[in-house]
Amino acid sequence: MRRSDLSAGEWLRRQARQLRAPLARSGLLTGLQALTLVAQAWLLSGILTATVFAHAPLARLWPQWLALLVLAPLRLVLGMGARRSAFRAAQRLGASLRARVLRGAQALGPYGLRAQASGDLITRLVDGIDAVLAYFARYLPQAAAAALIPPVLAAFVFPADWLSGLILLLTAPLIPLFMMLVGKAAAQASERRHGQLRRLGAAFIEALGGLVALRQMGAAGAFAERLDAESEAYRALTMQVLRVAFLSALVLEFFATVSIAVVAVLIGFRLLWGELPLRAGLFVLLLAPEFYLPLRALGGLRHTRMDALAAAQELLALDAVAPEAAAPPRAVHAPHEAAPQIRFEGVGYEHGGRAAALSECSFTVPARAVTALVGASGAGKTTLLSVLLGFAAPYTGHVWIDGAELSELDVAQWRARVAWVPQQAHVFEGSVRDNLLLAAPGADAAALRRAADRSGLSAVLERLPHGWETPLGERGLGLSGGELQRLALARALLREQARVWLLDEPTAHLDGAGAQAVEETIRAAAETRTVLLVAHRLSAVRAADRVVVLGGGRVIEQGPPLELARARGGYAELLQAEQP
Amino acid sequence: MRPALPPVLSRLWALMRPHRLWMAGGAALALLAALAAIGLMAVSGWFIAVMALAGASGAAINYFTPAAAIRAFAILRSGARYGERVVTHEATLRGLTGLRAWLFRRLIPLAPARLSALRSGELFARLRADIDALEHFYLAVGVPASVALLSVAMALMLTAIVLPAAALPLLLGTLLAAVVLPLWIERRAARDAQQTVLDAAALRGLLLDALRGHSELLAWGAVAAHNSRLESLAARLDIRRTRLDQLQAVGGGLAGLFAQLSLLAVLVAGLAAVHSGALAPPELVMLTLLTLALFEAIAPLAEALAQWRATTLAGERVFDLADTPPVFIEPAPGTPLPQRCDIGFENARLRYAPHLPWALDGVDLVLAAGARVAVVGVSGAGKSSLLAALLKFYPLQQGRVLFGGASVAELPGDALRRRIAVIAQQTTLFDLSLLDNLLLAAPEASAGQIERAVSLAQLDAFVASLPQGYDTVLGEGGARVSGGEARRIVIARALLQDAPVLVLDEPTEGLDARTARDLYTALDAAGRDRTLLLITHRLSGLERLVDEVVVMDAGRIRTRAPVGEYLAGERGG
Repeated sequence: MRRSDLSAGEWLRRQARQLRAPLARSGLLTGLQALTLVAQAWLLSGILTATVFAHAPLARLWPQWLALLVLAPLRLVLGMGARRSAFRAAQRLGASLRARVLRGAQALGPYGLRAQASGDLITRLVDGIDAVLAYFARYLPQAAAAALIPPVLAAFVFPADWLSGLILLLTAPLIPLFMMLVGKAAAQASERRHGQLRRLGAAFIEALGGLVALRQMGAAGAFAERLDAESEAYRALTMQVLRVAFLSALVLEFFATVSIAVVAVLIGFRLLWGELPLRAGLFVLLLAPEFYLPLRALGGLRHTRMDALAAAQELLALDAVAPEAAAPPRAVHAPHEAAPQIRFEGVGYEHGGRAAALSECSFTVPARAVTALVGASGAGKTTLLSVLLGFAAPYTGHVWIDGAELSELDVAQWRARVAWVPQQAHVFEGSVRDNLLLAAPGADAAALRRAADRSGLSAVLERLPHGWETPLGERGLGLSGGELQRLALARALLREQARVWLLDEPTAHLDGAGAQAVEETIRAAAETRTVLLVAHRLSAVRAADRVVVLGGGRVIEQGPPLELARARGGYAELLQAEQP
Repeated sequence: MRPALPPVLSRLWALMRPHRLWMAGGAALALLAALAAIGLMAVSGWFIAVMALAGASGAAINYFTPAAAIRAFAILRSGARYGERVVTHEATLRGLTGLRAWLFRRLIPLAPARLSALRSGELFARLRADIDALEHFYLAVGVPASVALLSVAMALMLTAIVLPAAALPLLLGTLLAAVVLPLWIERRAARDAQQTVLDAAALRGLLLDALRGHSELLAWGAVAAHNSRLESLAARLDIRRTRLDQLQAVGGGLAGLFAQLSLLAVLVAGLAAVHSGALAPPELVMLTLLTLALFEAIAPLAEALAQWRATTLAGERVFDLADTPPVFIEPAPGTPLPQRCDIGFENARLRYAPHLPWALDGVDLVLAAGARVAVVGVSGAGKSSLLAALLKFYPLQQGRVLFGGASVAELPGDALRRRIAVIAQQTTLFDLSLLDNLLLAAPEASAGQIERAVSLAQLDAFVASLPQGYDTVLGEGGARVSGGEARRIVIARALLQDAPVLVLDEPTEGLDARTARDLYTALDAAGRDRTLLLITHRLSGLERLVDEVVVMDAGRIRTRAPVGEYLAGERGG
């Protein structure tokens, strides 16, 4: 989404404010470097004049020669210093920006993030930040040099030859003017190109993730053609941007080069007519290319600025998302350690118009018992868990945790009490052990073993080549659906101190024996915990003390399973459906 | 004789050959621009000196030719520079676009057997960043190096004619700036340059985890820990990049220093020659300015070589991936598929790695055309491996899989898979419209066929509820539909494929009992004249769909029995 009150250029400028001091330092060094340049040109023109008219030998010119020898390394040191100071500062700014934008992306929350293609987000976070960084580290210092060096040089050219000075001074402003005119058109093309780059990234990452499915359907070739088309569009747009960018560079080069030629020819004629000393002529000729050099270099970096502007357009939307840290402290009630009772009261939720909305949901999840949420797919079961985890804020109603409202609790502390098995667990880069420890960083080997035993992961570990240390591929490649489920369970079980268990289909993908073992674990855990489990299958509900039946986002029925079975309501209907 | 190129370069060159005219054209224009720039300065210097001498002595002089040459050089230089930029970029973009598609096509036959070790974040890094980095070979090294080489050669020739004594110092200076310095920079930068490639790829992976696993990280309170892991990697990367930039600054600066020193050396030789009368003074002015302009053409090389290792590493990563041999060698194109579609496993043994236990340990199984069989067993019993072997995704270590009497190893894989529709355990949807998602496996399906498949998969109500109907875009990985809906879309897609064999891998997982029952009824109807293989660990509803049950355990077939008999035994036992 675009924020109209803050343009990309404005945002970039705001970021760059922090660079003022290092840029000023780098500018000072650049200015000194320009002075050494003037000195070099003056010395060299002196040597050459002496030799042209007097055929002077080196013996007479050695002081100038030595001075040139000393100036050469000085110029090297100044140039390096200028570049170093600018680059370091830009790098630091880029790092803080990356961290901030990542937090902005995370502040979108699980639902907001799911609506975004991750390939696209990563392109923004990596390539987008790199583009902005290039602008800070390369473009801005060059812009400073372009603002500093020409005036310094002109100040010395004027006394030597006012006419040449006038030519330089008149042509120099034309260059930025033309760059600006061409730049307007280029900026739009650049923005389109960035959009295409993001689409391309998203398409590639999706195709790679689903390659097996594509191959199985025989659709990989067709998909490759789609990628061809996207890449080709990207190439065409890039060339469009570059052609315009190069055109502005051409205008610039043309003025710079033709001005040098005009200066040279004019100097030549005035030398012929005796209106100018040779030394002044040579001095100006040596400085003329250096006068235009920073401007030309800036023109060469023009696309850096356009890329950064386009990237900023994407980044500022994320940067604008208020980070969670800015929210007022919510630790009104410090949640305590015992298993709580959870009560939903008239909870309503709507997300993007469709899919799993909730309305007027009221029910109680008692402590030290197993409560099962059942209902057809799309009834809102998973959404309820998301509300309880604080991923989605209900727009009506209240959720009470032992008499304290969920929205008043410190969300981090509340989540620390919860163990959660999501419907499709994400497998993180790293070993099996790393994946488990993410949920409980401090867990020791004994705790890991206990979690593995109780979830059935131990049997899986025996099969794995490196046991605990086996690196896991994407979506747990190498693990079957059931094995993945056990990993997710073990991960949740590792949080032994958690007094609330939220389990989204904990026995999915498990065979009879495996499911039974997990159900026993759940039963045993419920003695000291509050367990809320989502089940599509009533067989998984056998262990439940209470059943809540959801339908179309509403609570249809609730009560102990046996009672509900007799009541001939929604539950009985579901039960009926499950009979073979 | 052609010089031996590093393997990465010769591979790349082979792929870039179609664009060689663009590439050569770009280099030629770059050379033209560089020579025009050198010519402009050299002639200007000479012209000024000559004019000054003529002005002092009052001698007549032809100033038209040099003045015209100066103007011509100026225009030539601007034009050539523009042309160079457009043409070199056109060349690289054309090359890289083709290369990306080429690599993606090389990846297709590698999935899943050869790619399972790489995460898609890593693959993405190779397709995007690594291929992007390859432009460096041409734009930053190839073109400047050839321009530097040729302009140095021409400048040296001219110097040797005008002032032989200056040729040697000039040769030394250009050797230092164009060869020794870049090579030294390359060696100093090697480690950091390589590591930046690896770190940047790892950073993409960590970011992917941070975004896709965000809800889990939130639930565990691990967001901050993951972020700090990410930031410390990014910080390491930043340090390396800063060091590289520093080194590039040193390279650029030293190139400038060598230019100054060469100039001083040329002056020493030139002043002596002018003093002795061996050299006309204007020619010394010309040589001085020529030296300065020549080094402008050499200077970029040292900076560019700091990235050399990063680029070769990127190239190696691309070619390593592309050269991975697929697990099957496909038969000659046009190899016909048998008409029959009965399936057989003959003493099939399969394992995923030598140190792993057998996933299939001597399976003998015959499925006649039209058979309806369920394979049951605990997880890890080998049910999914049976499917992987049938689809020709993994090779057997022993035994054969037969399709229509022929070994699948000798059948064309794509054609084979077109005749086996699979409803896989993990639903895979793409960020395309619902219609495009449905048409993936059957691009030619008619509207009527689509309607039928959708209604068989119980999707009608869902489609009707969508404001944009079939044109609704499903989001990344089908993020905008619920798990149950996604599964039914996948089922409709498989039905649309209209294959004689239908394999269902846990088709009702994640569906409620009623939907599951309706689905079985639908699949029963859809599978009427097909071979049906159901892989499941759920027994309810089995008899509705299959006639026989095969029980697997530890990679072997334990029993095979009619469904009624099997279920009775299960319930009894």
